[in-house]
Amino acid sequence: MSGTPNSERIGRADLSAEQQVALEALLFRLADDEFVHAERLTEWQIYAPTLESDLAIANIAQDEFGHARLWYDLLKRLGYTEPECLWERDPTEWTHSLLVERPFGDGDWADAVLRGYLYDVAERIRLEAVADTSYAPLADRVGKVLEEENYHREHAVNWLERLTADDDGRGRVQDALDELFPYALSLFHPGPREEDIVEFGFRTEPVAEMRTQWLETVSPFLESLDLTVPEPDEVERPDERGRDGTHTDAWTELYDEFTATYHELEFETPATLRATEE
Amino acid sequence: MDLETVRKRAGPREFGPADDMPERYRTAATRMIQFHANSEVMGGYLDKTFTRKAPSLDRKLANTAKVQDEIGHAQLLYRAAETLGVKTRAEMLEELANGDGKFLNCFHYPVDSWYEAPMIDFFVDGGAMRRQATLKSTSWTPYAHAMDKICFEEGFHVKHGESILRELMNGSKATQERTQETFDEWWPRILQFFGPTNDESVHDDFGRAVGLKTVTNDELRNSFLNMYIPKAEKHGLEIPEYPRIYERDDGTMAVREDDLDWDEFRTISRNEYEGSHEQIGSRRRRQEAVDWVRKSLDSWESSAGTTPRAAD
Repeated sequence: MSGTPNSERIGRADLSAEQQVALEALLFRLADDEFVHAERLTEWQIYAPTLESDLAIANIAQDEFGHARLWYDLLKRLGYTEPECLWERDPTEWTHSLLVERPFGDGDWADAVLRGYLYDVAERIRLEAVADTSYAPLADRVGKVLEEENYHREHAVNWLERLTADDDGRGRVQDALDELFPYALSLFHPGPREEDIVEFGFRTEPVAEMRTQWLETVSPFLESLDLTVPEPDEVERPDERGRDGTHTDAWTELYDEFTATYHELEFETPATLRATEE
Repeated sequence: MDLETVRKRAGPREFGPADDMPERYRTAATRMIQFHANSEVMGGYLDKTFTRKAPSLDRKLANTAKVQDEIGHAQLLYRAAETLGVKTRAEMLEELANGDGKFLNCFHYPVDSWYEAPMIDFFVDGGAMRRQATLKSTSWTPYAHAMDKICFEEGFHVKHGESILRELMNGSKATQERTQETFDEWWPRILQFFGPTNDESVHDDFGRAVGLKTVTNDELRNSFLNMYIPKAEKHGLEIPEYPRIYERDDGTMAVREDDLDWDEFRTISRNEYEGSHEQIGSRRRRQEAVDWVRKSLDSWESSAGTTPRAAD
């Protein structure tokens, strides 16, 4: 991997206008994925199959919100406010993948676990691809996030092994796989500014290569659990793309739900409960 | 150990799993701890609503953490209850889902707005804190130990609840009015949280005699009123005219209990209130929906023949 040595990394003040646009696109994708994934995962709190799995999924959701906050903080340092990042941003400007916005069916723990797995593998690949980023403030944050994502992936792997140990569980995981796979592929849809992102060294791998790596990781593992992985080039893809701001209806509903109170209350600024980072 | 000895020895953290406790003690302690554990779970059904509604990222994170803490507390408390050897956790969770399990009156009222967040997180949790602080001196040591950790974490919840209240009461006039209306609705429920004074049950007398409880409902409610009426007023809330609150000769405050709807309270105690059906029904349906997972886990554990990894 052709990364950027520390000494040559660039800071906020060095960014050209064009670079900043590309960097923001990258950061919004990172942040939005984490935020929306976490928002969905919290739906499992109190509803998980056991008290222990409830605690674990809550941990993961909090980690993901925490990561979202890290990435939104970087955007704040580029001049955005929290309302501009979240509460007042038009839903068609969000660039998370379609996978994370999917609603959960009642009791569909197979979806929760498999989605976590597909997402966490992609997340690790993406974080590794930004570990050598040319943007210094981003590089500073990747290490901690990678560590936590490793724990999430282990959690998902353990669960998948358990659920697929009996026929009923395996059938449910297979259903979830058939359902989620086309949406998971949207994780690797090259959004706007993809070429610039790589060109400026913000990410050191193009998404096409990340997609290959992801398939080479998830397919053999899932097949080892006696699951059938759909053929990526043959699955019917949704019309929406995610990364370009087009989303499924499930997203609009989710967005309306989580922004409703913010709009109703009209506080001057969203409450922060920690010292602001600089 | 006979009951006479239990009564004589009763004191803070006096008994533990190594003691041969009489059945009446074990049953009473189980009832109390199970009620407490159930309340943590059912409180979560209310509190989880606020995660989606939270109007800032930090508030959302804090709420997620709070809901997680509640499940963590339930886990600790069920474990403490199990040390009495009367019921297993699975049995207690089954009772909760099938409507036999009892839990706090306030958690029989479904919530649907952010204005209710501080009612639960500040006032109800604040009331719970009053009670829980005294339970650090309960005679069943595993219960007292659980309280150490729980009280520590509840402190953060109440602070966050107060911060939500402060923000709402510094909002627009309409926001302040909605918050006051919500408070008016919740206030009597919160006062009933401590139960009626005049018909303190046989359970309570026995509980105090053997050191499971250290103070009366009446004392707890007065301690809550003395602390929380000034706090509510400080944030600009008006205490509703009814139920009437009066000052006693010793300067402490008390409630005219006749002003409260005890029929509703007793209906709730039997799990027969409208909201009870809704909340318990939700618990039951959610548990049934993931029943297949627990079956799948059982089959994995028996086939793998290994110790399940506890953390997940």
